[in-house]
Amino acid sequence: MNASDAAIDVQGLTKSFGKFQALRGLDLRVERGEVHGFLGPNGAGKSTTIRVLLGLLRADAGTMRVLGGDPWRDVVELHRRLAYIPGDVSLWPGMSGGEAIDLLGTLRGGLDEKRRAELIERFELDPTKRGRQYSKGNRQKVAIVAALASNVDLLILDEPSSGLDPLMENVFQEAVGEAKARGTTVLLSSHILAEAETLADRLSLIRDGVIVQTGTLTELRAQTRTTIHARLERGLDGQAPSLLHDVRVDGSSLTASVESSRIGEAMALLTPLGIEALTVAPPSLENLFLRLYDAPAGGEAAR
Amino acid sequence: MSAELAGTGPLLRASIRYDGRRFVPFIALATALSVSSVIAYALVFPSAEARAGLAAALGANPALGLIFGPARDLTTVDGFNAWRSLALGGFLAGLGAILLVTATTRAREDSGQAELLASGVLGRASRLMSAVVMALGGSLVLGLIAGLVTVLFGGGVESSMLLGMTFAATGCMFTGVAALTAQIGSDSRTSNSMAMGVLGVLFVARGFLYSISAPDWTTWLNPLGWIGETRPASGNVWWPLLLAAGFTIVVLALAFVLQARRDFGQGAIAPEPGPARGRDRSPFRLAVRLNRGALITWAVAFVVLGVVFGYFASSIKDVFGSNSAIQQILAAGATTPEALIAAFVVTILGLVGILASIPGVQAMNRVRTEEMEDRVEPVMATAVSRAGFYAGNVAVALIAPALCVLIAGTLIALIASAAGIGVDLGTVFLQAIVTIPAVWTVVAVSVAVIGARPQVALAAWAGVLISFVLTVLGPSFHLWDWILAISPFWHVPNVAAPAPNWSGLLVLGIACVALTAIGFAGFRRRDLAR
Repeated sequence: MNASDAAIDVQGLTKSFGKFQALRGLDLRVERGEVHGFLGPNGAGKSTTIRVLLGLLRADAGTMRVLGGDPWRDVVELHRRLAYIPGDVSLWPGMSGGEAIDLLGTLRGGLDEKRRAELIERFELDPTKRGRQYSKGNRQKVAIVAALASNVDLLILDEPSSGLDPLMENVFQEAVGEAKARGTTVLLSSHILAEAETLADRLSLIRDGVIVQTGTLTELRAQTRTTIHARLERGLDGQAPSLLHDVRVDGSSLTASVESSRIGEAMALLTPLGIEALTVAPPSLENLFLRLYDAPAGGEAAR
Repeated sequence: MSAELAGTGPLLRASIRYDGRRFVPFIALATALSVSSVIAYALVFPSAEARAGLAAALGANPALGLIFGPARDLTTVDGFNAWRSLALGGFLAGLGAILLVTATTRAREDSGQAELLASGVLGRASRLMSAVVMALGGSLVLGLIAGLVTVLFGGGVESSMLLGMTFAATGCMFTGVAALTAQIGSDSRTSNSMAMGVLGVLFVARGFLYSISAPDWTTWLNPLGWIGETRPASGNVWWPLLLAAGFTIVVLALAFVLQARRDFGQGAIAPEPGPARGRDRSPFRLAVRLNRGALITWAVAFVVLGVVFGYFASSIKDVFGSNSAIQQILAAGATTPEALIAAFVVTILGLVGILASIPGVQAMNRVRTEEMEDRVEPVMATAVSRAGFYAGNVAVALIAPALCVLIAGTLIALIASAAGIGVDLGTVFLQAIVTIPAVWTVVAVSVAVIGARPQVALAAWAGVLISFVLTVLGPSFHLWDWILAISPFWHVPNVAAPAPNWSGLLVLGIACVALTAIGFAGFRRRDLAR
């Protein structure tokens, strides 16, 4: 165990399954105490990364530290200090939810009884149903309660709220917020962008087995363009200025995107043309996501 | 009515295409059972004298009657076939029909496929109807094939066809039973268990009532008893099959009435809630829990096996009497009667051991199933080491077969030593104990495969297959010792011999430890769920 500050520090991680290269030199750093969003399209390598971090898969190459330990070698010691929620929870068909929670909790080294009871209550989970009787959302709740009722330093969540209804999704976000307040580090893989936007301090975006962007939401936003919709009295004369990108003119209305840092300049440019209506959409994670992933596979990350 | 059954035709065609194959093994097994009787009879009991001896020895053995029912006439090939195949063949057909009906009705509802179908243009009764038609048709095909193939191999035409039709009739009756329990059980597993429970209870009740010589009218209380009353090769009575048809129609009608009142995905019995708190808190306890149902079933099966083999052993002298082929197969070169009986004890305990290794291999295969269904992942994400997790499962896979051998071995020892055939309790029991290392070696093959190369999970059965072929069939092929020695059971010492060869246990110990070590090393090193 070294004194590395980061809860998770991965460098140059590669992993192949036969000929298929799932991870090709992935770098990921999660500081202690932060909620780190881990975003990417289906098949980008999120779950593979997480399984390597859990010691379920063995990395082909790269250096990795999780809570200062080696995820492959120090499995037992590390797993006492972390909890995991898979994205697609499969429960033992004949075992009740309560039994599964206790089994997983005890194997990890014990549950906080008070929190267990409280979480079951808040998630409105019936712990006496058998695994085969639960709906997808309820199976997910069983795994959530089992993980959040443990006192751990690190939570690894792989699309944890898939199948939850919006109400339960709120409860889940609250519970993760409380875990963070207790000082727990959270690695949150998700494709629900609103969830990541609400919870995450920093984000890493993965694509084709490499991290293509990482930073705080503000930092990532700064790299993205803001979308402007304007109805103008007079149309643009001749060529659009280089300030505006993706310009589309339809009669008197104009749609364009502009670097987030240069909105003021754009306003100065448009005001003389007589603005009748104006919408400025702040760069959403969704925009960022779409920009990154629309680019052809294998190419450099789009800016 | 036609609206109720809309879409049955296309659904039936699709079901036959995708689920029909589930029934094929049962057709093959029932046919093989009947055909093998016809072939074996001529080989094993060539003379009239041998046949009379067989009739005297087996016909009078109540333990065998428990399984096979009354031996009406063992002096003809068809009579022998009827005795050996009627009960078990019907059992197979019934089992196949139950599994097919449940798989195509309730299991579809549990998995959600039926929801897609039910939302299409499909009548309320169509899914049950297509399952029932498929199982009834499958049963008839099973009966016809078993009968015709038996005739081809030399069985009498009328008795063989009647025998085949008794299989079909049992299949049809249990198509009805399964269709009924599918409306009652809370999910497919419960429905399956209920139907199989009915089959099991009726099967045992029929054999039990026969072996305690209960009054004749009791036979008519049990649908499986009706089937026995057809007496193939001893009178060929066809009309009891009409009773079976009547039973099928009544039970099916009831099933359709209940099905019309039932909610989708629900049975008449609501599932019982489970405990809110859990007590299984280690990988070993988890492994025990996951294998519990199967292990209890096996334990019961080994009680029955112990009793049957025990009585078989106690009538050994009569069976051996004048038969050279049996001596060759079972005793492989033994000379004096005492040595012959001792070798026989070694052989039946070896058979018990081979069968006992099956639950062990099953427990190891269960590890792979759990892994592929993503249930090992959350466990391995807790503070459980790979070795710790694997050890819990390996422990179950080794303890369960050992218990099975001890259960059957104790019963065989008790029954055989009481029969006064010159074997004592302690020797047979000790023989059972020294058989266990061979069983463990067979299981250890699966420990190695599942741990190191689970992609070829079928290879986990290699140990069982090799042991069976070499130990049971090997001697009759006069194979060389170095080939026979591949089977772990070849190394089991005969404790009744003047100088038992204990070094065999050392060989087994080394093999067992080496294979287990390979399994643990592999499981420690490999990617999970790949």
